[in-house]
Amino acid sequence: MGLLDLQAGDCGIVEGIGGSQQACKRLADLGFVPGAEITMIRPGSPCIIRIGGRCVGLGAEHQRAILLNAV
Amino acid sequence: MHTSAQTHVECDVSLVALVGNPNTGKTTLFNALTGYRQRVGNYPGITVDRKSGLLRGLTSGKPIEVIDLPGTYSFSARSADEAVVLDVLAGHRTETGSPDVIVVVLDSTNLARNLFFASQVFELGKPVVLVLNMIDLAEARGLNIDAGLLSRELGVPVIPIVATRQSGVDELRRVIADSLDAPAPQNFAPLPESVRVEVERLMDSIVKSETGADYAPCRTESLQALLDPGGFHETRLIRQGGSWVEGELAQRRERIRATNESLAEVEARVRYSWIGKILERTVTQRQAGHHSRSELADRFLTHRVLGLVVLAVIMGGCFQSVYVWAGPVMDAIDGTFSALGAWAGKTIPAGAFQSLLADGIIAGVGAVFVFLPQILVLFLFIAVLEDCGYMARVAFLLDRWMGLLGLSGKSFIPLLSSFACAVPGIMATRTIEDRRDRFVTILIAPLMSCSARLPVYVLLIGAFVPKRDLLGGFVSLQAVALLAVYAVGFLTAIAAALILKMTMLRGAPHPFLMELPSYKRPSARTVFYRMYEQGKVFCLSAGTIIVAVTVVVWALGYYPRPASISIAHDAQRQAARGAFEAQLPEVAATDTADNPAIQPDGAAAQSRTELEERLAQINRSESGAYLRQSILGRMGRWVEPVVKPLGWDWRIGTAVIASFPAREVVIATLGTIYNLGGEQDETAGSLRQKLHSTKWPDGRPVFNLAVAFSIMVFFALCCQCGATLAAIKRETKSWRWPIFTFTYMTSLAYLGALLTYQILVRFV
Repeated sequence: MGLLDLQAGDCGIVEGIGGSQQACKRLADLGFVPGAEITMIRPGSPCIIRIGGRCVGLGAEHQRAILLNAV
Repeated sequence: MHTSAQTHVECDVSLVALVGNPNTGKTTLFNALTGYRQRVGNYPGITVDRKSGLLRGLTSGKPIEVIDLPGTYSFSARSADEAVVLDVLAGHRTETGSPDVIVVVLDSTNLARNLFFASQVFELGKPVVLVLNMIDLAEARGLNIDAGLLSRELGVPVIPIVATRQSGVDELRRVIADSLDAPAPQNFAPLPESVRVEVERLMDSIVKSETGADYAPCRTESLQALLDPGGFHETRLIRQGGSWVEGELAQRRERIRATNESLAEVEARVRYSWIGKILERTVTQRQAGHHSRSELADRFLTHRVLGLVVLAVIMGGCFQSVYVWAGPVMDAIDGTFSALGAWAGKTIPAGAFQSLLADGIIAGVGAVFVFLPQILVLFLFIAVLEDCGYMARVAFLLDRWMGLLGLSGKSFIPLLSSFACAVPGIMATRTIEDRRDRFVTILIAPLMSCSARLPVYVLLIGAFVPKRDLLGGFVSLQAVALLAVYAVGFLTAIAAALILKMTMLRGAPHPFLMELPSYKRPSARTVFYRMYEQGKVFCLSAGTIIVAVTVVVWALGYYPRPASISIAHDAQRQAARGAFEAQLPEVAATDTADNPAIQPDGAAAQSRTELEERLAQINRSESGAYLRQSILGRMGRWVEPVVKPLGWDWRIGTAVIASFPAREVVIATLGTIYNLGGEQDETAGSLRQKLHSTKWPDGRPVFNLAVAFSIMVFFALCCQCGATLAAIKRETKSWRWPIFTFTYMTSLAYLGALLTYQILVRFV
């Protein structure tokens, strides 16, 4: 499952991060680590998600890079 | 602008570095700690400002200098600009010296992510002070943070504060002073054995290599080089150490991967799980967190349609205010400087010094300061929107649309601001982190038609575009012409952005990744400081250059001054006065004898007015003659062959050359050149009529629709603004970009004007 599959209000748990090495490191440092819970606030490109109590805007490329497990 | 010439003398001044994530209120705290007496300087080679100031309110001990570093989420860097934080903290930057204490500012409402960066700072081996900023917001959200326990767990002082209200700042000052000789933190996030070993080995092999003695990376740098392939730290290590480092890194990474660790995730996983355990013991959540108010607002403000409508309304209000609020102040400044110039003209005896002061320096300084109100009002809006958290939403909303130009949503505000004035627009690009996006935005900003171009458009459209209504009176042809000239600049900017992104500033598209901070009430202090800072920067850097250039143009237009001109005109003046005096007794006689109804002095007054008009005309003709003789006038005639294909005569050429330092002087210059004196306003009928009646030597009129449009297109595309070039130099920290901007815009302007004239002259 990926971020692009989430509707507004859906949740997911980060399983891992794919994509380019650099994007991975940046996302991981920002808290996108395995086990983190993500809530989709506004789907689209860029989308708005909530992670760790704050909102982050993410472009399509980053959305594809984040792999999720269902809650 | 200050330079960073001041050297940091370690024995006299202690150095404290202020670091933290973006949006933690770090700058507000910096202002509170240092007051407004700050120094802004450069770091050679990068575009980040070096901001520092002395810690206020110290009662004893040696002075402490506080240095504000850019907000950052992690030491992993993609550019030299991003690496500056680690470079300063590790003592690599010779301009600053090595900090004695590192103060990490944390957003108390987002401790986990903020402590990620803090945990990286712990490993630098320096005393650390943690600041829990916005502790009031955290409490309002039901977060109970035990600062004392957190301090014991981490082994560093933890000070809760509210920077906007200055609460807790006094205690922080004391703790900073006490921490100067404190031990470095001893508790670290436990990186896996394999990573630690490979970092040690990497450092070891670099130190033992041939170049290692010159350049030894610190542990943090080596860790980032190892875990972030393609990042700045890897690139720099290879550049400094040599290509063998590449193989060395590959080998070490392979060993880490062999232990089933993911390079990208290992650091984040270890740190976040370490932080999570600490926060479990030190933070309790009283009630379910409610981010609802901010998210509720975002339901409207980030809506793809409603959000754009709200944005359009806010922007409309902002620009309306820029004109409405700044207008009267600009008029007042303009009036003051005109009066000052007139006063100087009257009190100082005529001559070169009077002209230099009145026409050169006072007019030049006035031309700069007249923009100050616009800049301050615009930055009032930008600072408020930024501080309350809305700016991040603007970037979010427009990212898709700006993406079509290869830019990100963050370029929108600077470009929109440039329609008022490119100088604040260029200064507003600082919020764009990506260097290429920022540079493209800076380079195309001067193509947006700024308010200084408007007088030229108004004059020429009013004079040469017929007053005709289109679409049954809804639209006037003149308005369409104005819109068309604005569109020329805007469409050229789009093309320039696309070309720059494909050539000089090529790079992988920068995917959108941006925190949308919770909305909050903007702090008056931060907003005021932002306005003060931008105003100061503008006055100092743009002011000095534009005044210098204005003086040069003044000198070119003033010298040489052959005596023959003043002799000839003195004779004319003498003759006019003689004629008036000869007329006087006669006039008096006629009045009293034949026409007693007329007041005795009526005719005399009339002929005195005539004399004054005649004298003024002679004076104008004299300044016109001087201008023709001047170096500038000769340059004008010298460039005539160059500007003739654009449909211009030497007078237009001269006026355009003279308006290169500041395009708004062109109307005054045209006025002078057409012997009308320097005080021409865009609505003045006489200049308009004069333009209509100007003829080539063969009797054809100089001005027509094609010439008018050729001039307007030239002004739309040309970078005739010393202040803009100075701003580009300041923001890019290099002469290369202002020179490039000037060259490409001038070439475009010439080509555009040439095409416009050659096409229009055939069809109109």
